[in-house]
Amino acid sequence: MSVTAPVVQIVDDDWSFLTATSRLLRASGFAVKTFSSASEFLAQRDTDAPGCVVADLQMPGMNGLDLQSALGRSRNPVPILFLTGHGDIPSSVVAMRSGAEDFLEKRAPKEKLLDAVRRALARDAHEREERTRQRELRARFDMLTKREFEVLAHVVQGRLNKQIAGDLGIHERTVKLHRTAITTKLGVQSVAELTRLTDEAGIFTASAQTFPKGQ
Amino acid sequence: MNLVTIIWSMIASACLTLAAINFLTWGRNREAWANLFFAMLATGTAAWTFCELWMMRAETPAEFATALKWGHVAVWLLLVSLVGFVRLYLKAGRPWLAWMFLGLRTLALVLNFVVGQNLNYSEITRLRHIRFLGESVQIAEGVRNPWMVVGQLSLLALVIFVGDATATAWRRGDRRTALTVGGSALFFSVVGFGQSLLVLWGIIQVPLTASLSFMGLVAVMGYELSSEMIRATQLSRDLQVSQAGLRENEQRMSLAVDAANLGIWIRDITKNEIWASDKWRELFSFTPSEPLDFERILRRLHPDDREVFEQVLTKALAGGGNYETEFRLALPDGGLRWISSHGQVEFDATGQPLRIRGASRDVTAHKQSEQETQLLRREVAHVARVTMMGQLASALAHEINQPLGAILRNAEAAELFMQDASPDLDEIRAIVADIRKDDQRAGAVIDRMRGLLKRQPLNTRELDVSELVGDVRALVRADAAARQVKLEVHVPGDLPPVRGDRVHLQQVLLNVILNGMDALDGTSGTENRISVIVSRNGNQTVEIAVSDTGSGIPADKLAHIFDPFFTTKPNGMGMGLPISRTIIEAHGGRFWAENNASGGATFRFTLPIAEEVAAK
Repeated sequence: MSVTAPVVQIVDDDWSFLTATSRLLRASGFAVKTFSSASEFLAQRDTDAPGCVVADLQMPGMNGLDLQSALGRSRNPVPILFLTGHGDIPSSVVAMRSGAEDFLEKRAPKEKLLDAVRRALARDAHEREERTRQRELRARFDMLTKREFEVLAHVVQGRLNKQIAGDLGIHERTVKLHRTAITTKLGVQSVAELTRLTDEAGIFTASAQTFPKGQ
Repeated sequence: MNLVTIIWSMIASACLTLAAINFLTWGRNREAWANLFFAMLATGTAAWTFCELWMMRAETPAEFATALKWGHVAVWLLLVSLVGFVRLYLKAGRPWLAWMFLGLRTLALVLNFVVGQNLNYSEITRLRHIRFLGESVQIAEGVRNPWMVVGQLSLLALVIFVGDATATAWRRGDRRTALTVGGSALFFSVVGFGQSLLVLWGIIQVPLTASLSFMGLVAVMGYELSSEMIRATQLSRDLQVSQAGLRENEQRMSLAVDAANLGIWIRDITKNEIWASDKWRELFSFTPSEPLDFERILRRLHPDDREVFEQVLTKALAGGGNYETEFRLALPDGGLRWISSHGQVEFDATGQPLRIRGASRDVTAHKQSEQETQLLRREVAHVARVTMMGQLASALAHEINQPLGAILRNAEAAELFMQDASPDLDEIRAIVADIRKDDQRAGAVIDRMRGLLKRQPLNTRELDVSELVGDVRALVRADAAARQVKLEVHVPGDLPPVRGDRVHLQQVLLNVILNGMDALDGTSGTENRISVIVSRNGNQTVEIAVSDTGSGIPADKLAHIFDPFFTTKPNGMGMGLPISRTIIEAHGGRFWAENNASGGATFRFTLPIAEEVAAK
């Protein structure tokens, strides 16, 4: 996992504004990269690096909203922050619904811009951590065998070993062995912890509700 | 019975019948003098015929003489009525000849009774029997009366009189009447009296048969009178037809007039009388019996429209002939009515106006809808202008925000850089250079916008200022009326032409006048007035001043009214005055505003006098 400092990536077709904004952000202590169009950004960006995007909404060719959706589908969906020459309500609504960090006028006060960039970077850091954790959890669950998964499904529903053995048509001792393997592989100590982890990893979320808990 | 008796009796009875008919005709129409004279002519003829027969049948010389004596009375009557008839019918003949004839003939008649046995014979000595038309008749022999010459002179006078009258009528062109009446009178007189003279002088031995000639006269005159009657009948029939046609036309006309709601009037200028239809009186709010005169009617007109109306009328009377105009009536009940008036002036041969005929129509409803349409059009135009300006403003904002945003970010960055212990001066220099560049960029955007607003080139030519003002006045007249603003225009008559673009200058003047009206909208002054005063300003310029009686321009706003986007109106764009000033300055004139001492504001602009005139 990368440990490089987050980079603010600015995309604007107006060279002068691009340069001025990058100067301000650099002077404010951010690492900055500039791109003169959305396609240039998508082609050259570091697909792993943390950071955020500050983009002009109105650009020739691929505009800000197109860039936002392309970014959302990518492996590294960093938060995006829009700037615009003048407030355009329909575009801002679309942008905010699609999860834009903020929507600012080009002449917005400096503090608003810097706050928005900081918020975007914080969100990226958080989302990035979350994504890493998820990936680790998935890796742990991936170590379970098919039979162990079946047993796990029953365990998180709170069923007893005897019931599980009956349902799966195996010996109760075998169930116990599977449970030991599961807890070892996932590194958990209790059923409660196991259930939380399973929830967090998003496994069985659909089937979990079909069985009333505590039965 | 024998032929003489039959013929002479028939002549007498025919003549008497005709006489009776014509006497009766005259009795019913006392002005039919021709009929009276004819009746007398026929009576005289009948009487003479009777005397002739009496002479032919006389038993003694004395009886013959008596018959001839009384025959002269018949001849007098016959000849006098012939003269009367000819004079009346031919409308010719010298009166002195007629009077001379009458005198001579009357003298002859007197002599007839006082000298000798009668005018012709001093004494009839004997009668002689001769055969005439198979019958034995008497003719006289005796001493001829020398006074007979008086009778012959009177006949000469008669022939001269009739001949002269006939010639006059002929020369005048009444050839047919001259020929039938004059010609036959001459012919039958000469034949009748010729034969009588030959007989009386004893040259031929026959009885007197002048009655045949007189009968001919009666026949011709009778025919003439009858054809006159036929013509009269024909004429009256024609008249009836044409009267029926006239009535039909009148009905058609009144139908059209009613359908069109037209009020009709006729003004006789020489008699200074005015007639008007009931509909017209209703339109102008006069009662059907109220006396009309021009002053009274003029007072019905709205005071603002009187001047224009009088100008139109004066022009038509001076030779224009037709006119068409519209004006308002200020009705006695306080109401207002729009009238469209159309008039035609009739001139006499010397070009003096005789009378004016006209039609007036109520166009109030039409005017109202016109005003509404105009209002709507103005609103639509305003919305379009606002929309256009809105788009322009939006584009302007976007274009300008880009460099302004860059300047802001650069300035903020520079501030931060300078907080460093050792600021990177190269970086700061680059920032300052970029700020300058972006400032120029913003300026260029504004220049481009301004260029867009005044892109239309001026099309200048010599212009008559009074026409320019008149055009704009016509454009705003309805508007002013609708907003109850009195519009006054003063243009001196001897104004030189200016040089300018008609459409652009119209726009400027229109804009200033409409601004004035807007300024009056809010006020509740007793008299809302806008005056346009044109004056010559030295040798180089003409000044046009537009004053209103509104509340004036607040002192703190006076300095800004020519700034773009400065407006005091809720939905104004603030572009009217700046654009107007740009147009005037492009013409080489000046445009400024001031408050009046007496309230309200005055906008003034100058225009250069066309060089050719200014050089003089």
